[in-house]
Amino acid sequence: MSPAASPRLPRNSKPSFWKASDNQISRCRVESPTRQRFGGLTMNSPYSLNPPVIQPAARHRPKILTRLRVALPKQLAAYLFLLPALIVFALFAWLPILSSIQMSFQDVQLGGVGTWVGLHNFELMLKDPAFEIAWQNSLGFASWSLLLGYFVPVVIAILVREMRHGTGFFRVVYFLPTVVPAAVAVIIWRFMYDPDGGVLNEFLAQFGIARQLWLQDVHLAKPALVAVMTWSGFGTTALIYLASLQDVSQELYEAAELDGATPFQRILHISLPHLYPVMSLMFVLQIISVVQVFTEPFLLTNGGPGRETLTPAMHIYNRAFIRMDMGYASAWSVTMILVLVVFSIIYRIVNARLTNEN
Amino acid sequence: MDRGFFSNIELRTPTGRVYYTVAVIFLLAVALVTLFPFFFAFTSGLKDSTEIFQGGLNLLPRVARWENYQQAWEWFEMPRLFGNSFIISGVGVILRLAVSTAAAFSLSKLKPFGGKYITLGFMLTLMIPSMAYFVPLYTTIARLPIVNISLLNSYWGLWLPYCVDAFSIFVLKTFFDRIPADLIDSARVDGANALQMLAHIIVPLSRSIFIVLFVLAFVGLWKDFLLPYLVLTDPYTQPITVRLFYIADDYSINLQMASSFMALLPPLLIAIALQRYMKIGLTLGGVKG
Repeated sequence: MSPAASPRLPRNSKPSFWKASDNQISRCRVESPTRQRFGGLTMNSPYSLNPPVIQPAARHRPKILTRLRVALPKQLAAYLFLLPALIVFALFAWLPILSSIQMSFQDVQLGGVGTWVGLHNFELMLKDPAFEIAWQNSLGFASWSLLLGYFVPVVIAILVREMRHGTGFFRVVYFLPTVVPAAVAVIIWRFMYDPDGGVLNEFLAQFGIARQLWLQDVHLAKPALVAVMTWSGFGTTALIYLASLQDVSQELYEAAELDGATPFQRILHISLPHLYPVMSLMFVLQIISVVQVFTEPFLLTNGGPGRETLTPAMHIYNRAFIRMDMGYASAWSVTMILVLVVFSIIYRIVNARLTNEN
Repeated sequence: MDRGFFSNIELRTPTGRVYYTVAVIFLLAVALVTLFPFFFAFTSGLKDSTEIFQGGLNLLPRVARWENYQQAWEWFEMPRLFGNSFIISGVGVILRLAVSTAAAFSLSKLKPFGGKYITLGFMLTLMIPSMAYFVPLYTTIARLPIVNISLLNSYWGLWLPYCVDAFSIFVLKTFFDRIPADLIDSARVDGANALQMLAHIIVPLSRSIFIVLFVLAFVGLWKDFLLPYLVLTDPYTQPITVRLFYIADDYSINLQMASSFMALLPPLLIAIALQRYMKIGLTLGGVKG
């Protein structure tokens, strides 16, 4: 049986048939015998009583024209309003995304036309010692940021929700770092981290803790950078959790209290499960933003000490804008997209499995 | 009656009071740590250049040297830097909102053919990390296709890319969708054209969401570093974030601190003054996913 004989075919034409005028029916053409025979087989289908199929072309053309005449001015206006957005998105988002992929297979110098080099850039990338270092650093940054920054906003949101006074004060204070430009924040933090006379070392000295090199220390550079990022970002996340906590029904807490649940149990079994969907979203967003991190390591440590804080984004910048090797840098960009896509897919599968089990 | 996981009665028991006090102390401690860099920048800016490197935990300056701020204001040429930042962020935000509003209005109320796919195309840019297409974005700015104009060292090289904001379009479209179609239809019956509908019905009804997006975008653009750093190489046109990065190291650390503190004041004041809207905006970001 040919695929054209599928029983779905008549369905498309059904509504048109009922609207068609007598004149049109008289003009309609009977479909091939195969289809008719098949139509007789599907007695149970609601379409089995359909008369022969109408040839669409003969009937639709005038209707589309009249519809077009009515719709055209409206569509014109609609697209006129869309035009600025379409132009800027095409120029500054869609085209760059596509040409990023294209350039990764090319040898491109700034302003020049690329020559195709196949997978050469990717081969070079895998041989580049920086490849392993940068992605390992990324993993390190991600772990540190989860360790230092993931639970802080949750705890803060739960506690601020409990406050009977001054919630407004806490909310404002916690989001203030969000508005500080990273370029300004690093000037302040660089001085706070200063090994000689920096306030952090002076503060620790009060407790008899030895001076640290912080940003110049191989082991401390990553957590020190993550601390700056956490400082500037945790307030937003805490506000999001707080907004979500406002939706917890107070009766739930009351019922739990009557059942004898301790305050800690109420957090564990009511507040946290309520936050779980937002927390899982925040987890993904945090990883995505950490993998892209550029400004803080670029301005605070410039990848140092050694290559301890070199991130993939920084390497892209170095290769593209210092060495002007845009094709090679694009291979890294494409890799970054792939890593994040693979991460999102794995995350979704794991998350779906986890929620099913619950 | 408002309550959290603690009931108000429990809070009056001795254990409840202990818990509550511990929570308050913890939150205040976090608030202290959060505010400390602001305080530190401010007071370090008041110290003289020897006192600032003195050992020990001297948080407050012995003598407040206000002239440091005046000096930093003049030496760093702050008025020009502030002016540049204000022009870049201000015009950038206005253009971004204009482009986004027009697009959202069209998608929500004028129903263009294929609007679903266009929306999908806009949303796609939210999913792809901007760092991943930064290099070709720069080459596009350096030489626009077809017209072959370079936008380097021009504010248009920032304003136009800043108009790309799927988040604003998404938020505005969701908001416009909730404006009843009857309002639009009655305006159409009265003979209003699309522009009049937008100006006289949609925009007045969405004032609050505009303020939210305005604050969010203004702060976001004021903070931007990498794009202006690459696009604007002429020191006279650079915004404060970029210029500070270049010149801060040439001056003594107390002037660096003074200038840094001044640089973060405008977004800080805007955020505090419009904190109600800022809060809504920040939580919008979390709900969107």
